[in-house]
Amino acid sequence: MLILRFTLRRLLVAAPTVLGVLFITFMLVRIGHQDPVAMLAGPMADRAMLEMIRTQLGLDQPLFTQFAGYLWRLAQGDLGRSWQSNQPVLHEIIAHFPTTLELTLLSVGLGAIIGVPVGLRAAFRPNGWFDQISRVVSLLGFSVPTYWMGLMAIFIFFFLLRLAPAPMGRLSLEVIAPPTITGSLVIDSIAAGNWEALRSALAQLMLPVSCFTLIAAAPVVKQTRAVAIEILGSDYIRYARACGFSPRTVRRIVLRNAVAPVLTFIGTQLTSLLAAASLIEFIFAWGGLGHWGLNAILLGDFAAVQGYVLTLALFSVFVFLVIDLLVLLLEPRGQRR
Amino acid sequence: MSIATTDSAPARPGVIGWIIGLARRSPTFALGFAIVLVFAVLALGADWLAPFDPVQTFPFAVLKPPGGDFVLGSDGNGMDVLSRVIHGSRYAFGISLPAGALMVVIGVPLGVVAGYKGGVTDEVLIRILDVLRAFPTIILSLAVVAAAGASLLNVVLVIGFLDSPIFARIVRAEVLALRSATFVRAAVAVGNPPWRVMFVHILPNAIMGAIAQLPVRMSWAVRISATLAFVGVGVQAPAPEWGAMIRQGAEFVISGEWWVATFPGLALIALVLGFNLLGDGLQDLLDPRRRATGK
Repeated sequence: MLILRFTLRRLLVAAPTVLGVLFITFMLVRIGHQDPVAMLAGPMADRAMLEMIRTQLGLDQPLFTQFAGYLWRLAQGDLGRSWQSNQPVLHEIIAHFPTTLELTLLSVGLGAIIGVPVGLRAAFRPNGWFDQISRVVSLLGFSVPTYWMGLMAIFIFFFLLRLAPAPMGRLSLEVIAPPTITGSLVIDSIAAGNWEALRSALAQLMLPVSCFTLIAAAPVVKQTRAVAIEILGSDYIRYARACGFSPRTVRRIVLRNAVAPVLTFIGTQLTSLLAAASLIEFIFAWGGLGHWGLNAILLGDFAAVQGYVLTLALFSVFVFLVIDLLVLLLEPRGQRR
Repeated sequence: MSIATTDSAPARPGVIGWIIGLARRSPTFALGFAIVLVFAVLALGADWLAPFDPVQTFPFAVLKPPGGDFVLGSDGNGMDVLSRVIHGSRYAFGISLPAGALMVVIGVPLGVVAGYKGGVTDEVLIRILDVLRAFPTIILSLAVVAAAGASLLNVVLVIGFLDSPIFARIVRAEVLALRSATFVRAAVAVGNPPWRVMFVHILPNAIMGAIAQLPVRMSWAVRISATLAFVGVGVQAPAPEWGAMIRQGAEFVISGEWWVATFPGLALIALVLGFNLLGDGLQDLLDPRRRATGK
């Protein structure tokens, strides 16, 4: 009951944000120097024809009416048609999303599994050797551009060492893909019992996931360390130490109290990582949502760009909501409000 | 002129003295400052320091490996990679400096006004910040620059605008804490108009966090502008911009000509690292609380 009420309240608070998000994505197409009408009509169109298309698209209406129309179509699940594939944008997004989600969640998960213990360990001995090393590595994770890391990984592990498969998509060309169920090749090949496809899919995942994990782990290390240091300086930890608890127990108390802030932080990171995924996908010819969205941006495929940006923004609003709920469950203190 | 004669005094006046003082207290700051300084020198002296013209082609020296005449090799057009990397620092500063200025000019006043006035102004600002936070910066700037046209000016404007909310947020928090301080109430009581209270009395006390954040956001600007160029929406190819150079080198990586993409990337990392260290160092120095906890 409490959770339901909390969810409803959070949804109400999120509503203006969603409206703002919708307005920005709506305006995105209209700030352009390119005229969508001219692009649709092609170079052969005369003025009367341009006017006709403009009226057809409703672009001669006042901005507010256009926005209302955009919202109305969205409510019906109509995100427009991508002109590069001539498919409804919504179908394209649904088809491409699981691919990106597989890559991102795998990397973020690994990044958290590596990042949290490293950050904790660094915090327990600030300025010790472990802290210094983890600081340098995470600083590199911050500074190295995603795409450059991908290129270097390809050079070293594909060209020099021949350890990784060619960076061309999610599956080797010689392998038959399993039937699509969830859209995640790993899960689908397990479901189909297609072990060869599973092996190929995992091999293809190896390089992009390693690069992506490093990028995802760096901020987690930094944040976990900062949070843990703050907790270690708190009165309740001093009390726990004064009670004579073993360092092991003290660490467990720190970990328990660090969970909520670290989780919140990872949630806020998820959006920007989903965006960073587009660059990783670009390098490894991955063909997920990020790759598709990036192509749409480059080609000026307006409806697809709108759909892509909207998906990312709404996903982040959704993640914030889920994280808030999780924190509420984890932190009894928050439930009293 | 008397400033020059006080050279041996422990604390030198002026900006240079301030920087030397900071560098003494924080090695992080010193290292970051040194790196940024090196790139600033490269950018200013690129015409004299670069061995070749960055866009001059040598048709008989295409994709030469590092060593010999071309210290860092030559690219697919037969241009000298070293000269192009050196000239690339011009683009890095040429974008990050005005973008950084824009972030401060837009973000700081917004933060001051919202924090001081409160009420509807504040509410509206917070809402806008929430909306912008939902978008990943990279994709939003990509989409906006692609839609508005890939010019240097547009890249600067987009980065400056999209990052200014961060400054508004930092300054707002500081102002909020200072709003009912005694010195502010005294300033109001003696009859200062609101703008004077905000910008003469509060602002100087609320700006430190923003100053420490500036190098970090400038490193972001360097990264984003390079990303834009790498994807192909920012600065366009023959121009010696690091991201554009990595893009040119990307096709050769798979066949083993690694140097075209590697060196501009290393330069980019070094400058981004420099800005970040500078920011980290400043934060340690300007925030007494962080200093006390031993980082």
